[in-house]
Amino acid sequence: MKKLLSVFALSLGVAFTASAGVVVIGNNAAGDMSMSDAKKAFLGKGDNSLVVYELDEGNPTRSEFHSTVTGKSDAQLKAFWSKQVFTGKGNPPATVASAAAMKAAVASNPNAIGYIDEADVDGTVKIILKP
Amino acid sequence: MHFNVKALPLAISIALAPAAFADEATDAKIAQLEQQVQVLQAQQTKSLTEKFNFNGFISGGYITSDNDAGYNNATTSADFSQDTKLGFQGTFNMSNQTQAVLQLMMKGEHDWEVEAEWAYLSHRFDNGVKLRGGKLRVPLFMYSDYLDVGYAQPFARPPSEVYGTIPFSSYTGAGISYDVEFDDSTLTLQGFGGESDVRDSAVEISNLMGANVSWTDEVWTLRGVYAQAKLDGPITTTVNVPLAPGVETSAEFTVLDLNDETGSFIGLGASYDNGSFLAVTEWTRSEIDNAYPDTDSGYLTLGYRIAEFTPYVTVAYLKTQDNDERLPVSQPDVIRMIAFNAERMAYSAGLRWDVIDNVAIKFDVTYADEFGDTSGGLDGNTLDDTTGKFVYDDTVIYTVKFDAVF
Repeated sequence: MKKLLSVFALSLGVAFTASAGVVVIGNNAAGDMSMSDAKKAFLGKGDNSLVVYELDEGNPTRSEFHSTVTGKSDAQLKAFWSKQVFTGKGNPPATVASAAAMKAAVASNPNAIGYIDEADVDGTVKIILKP
Repeated sequence: MHFNVKALPLAISIALAPAAFADEATDAKIAQLEQQVQVLQAQQTKSLTEKFNFNGFISGGYITSDNDAGYNNATTSADFSQDTKLGFQGTFNMSNQTQAVLQLMMKGEHDWEVEAEWAYLSHRFDNGVKLRGGKLRVPLFMYSDYLDVGYAQPFARPPSEVYGTIPFSSYTGAGISYDVEFDDSTLTLQGFGGESDVRDSAVEISNLMGANVSWTDEVWTLRGVYAQAKLDGPITTTVNVPLAPGVETSAEFTVLDLNDETGSFIGLGASYDNGSFLAVTEWTRSEIDNAYPDTDSGYLTLGYRIAEFTPYVTVAYLKTQDNDERLPVSQPDVIRMIAFNAERMAYSAGLRWDVIDNVAIKFDVTYADEFGDTSGGLDGNTLDDTTGKFVYDDTVIYTVKFDAVF
């Protein structure tokens, strides 16, 4: 019985960490970021020395991130970038396929920022904003 | 003893544990290094691909009307070319601050002739000022910069009451812009100057200059624009001339000769988009110092996103403000009155359906009426000599189109 309970508790714990919420990550050398700077950065505005990474389209963490930070749905984001691209104002950020690739990308460049689920954060990167 | 035998495997596993942990750590380290190598490789290839971006957009449409009044060039027969267009854009980033952009368009409306809508060099200075030179869009309207990119617009097409008042959409010259970044919003100041011409017409536009200011926090967008230009050349129309009973020939007829007349344009716009509710409105006034029409126009679009569906409604109007400059005192005045006086209301109901990523299908029904004593500004609406009235006093236009970006 005790065993059964602990298995249950464990799976509950896993379930909790799996939906810990999306966080903005930066290089370990980076300072904290404000919500408005994050919003600008992921819409290609503001500080253009930042190297921004996105998760691939269709990734649920990407949708969660944008609904929280930039306030744009997948379709709106797509329309936003097609507007930016075809007016020569900018191109969408580079994309990576997974949280592991995101961490590696952000860890390798002091100016890089990205986002992952908080459960995937490890020592290689730093949480710079919990939106 | 029995106890010891049972304890032995435990002791062994305890002894082995540190080694196993060490292996895991090495594996993790290797995995991490592999990721980093991949990223570095990606960055290296990216430095090439980042220099050159290639994008495109395509729209295909079917448009038809209940009559031949010619709203958006629609007729009673099905038309697949009016709203069909294809665009390619290449962007070459010479440096972080300098880029060359070329956008080539082919439109069914213009017999698939290849046109450059954008062809410019841009440079962003360290202080944030961006300078562009070449062929650019005239930023008179909210959707001017991406007029042909249907995918980035909520409606089937921007309301022609407003977007049809100015007969040119790009210019050759230069533009300067500067973004002021606030905490949660951006203010963009833009100035532009150059020259242009009117398609299929001898009218030339010179000394074009203007400024616009827009502010957005990505929910609200507000903008204002002022522009002026000199217009020169004949405004002609094709008329049917009877040669003999039952025999007609068509001839070019000069309705008005513009002689370096100064025209001015004022536009105001606002939009709100919180992700589900959408509202867009624009109002414009164009004026010129002679019998060429001064026109006021405006529209309001409301939409609501329900998952991949966005139903919308639009109300639009246009009205010439200087009909008293075209009183029927002489025959040329009568012709100008017929050609230029215009008023109409248009009501649209439509649906945008985001079928898949990158592709939207749009359905639209537009009803236009209240032409008053005018043609409604519709080319196909002619004056019936026997009744002295225009042939059509309303029109319905049906549109089905798709818009894609790639």
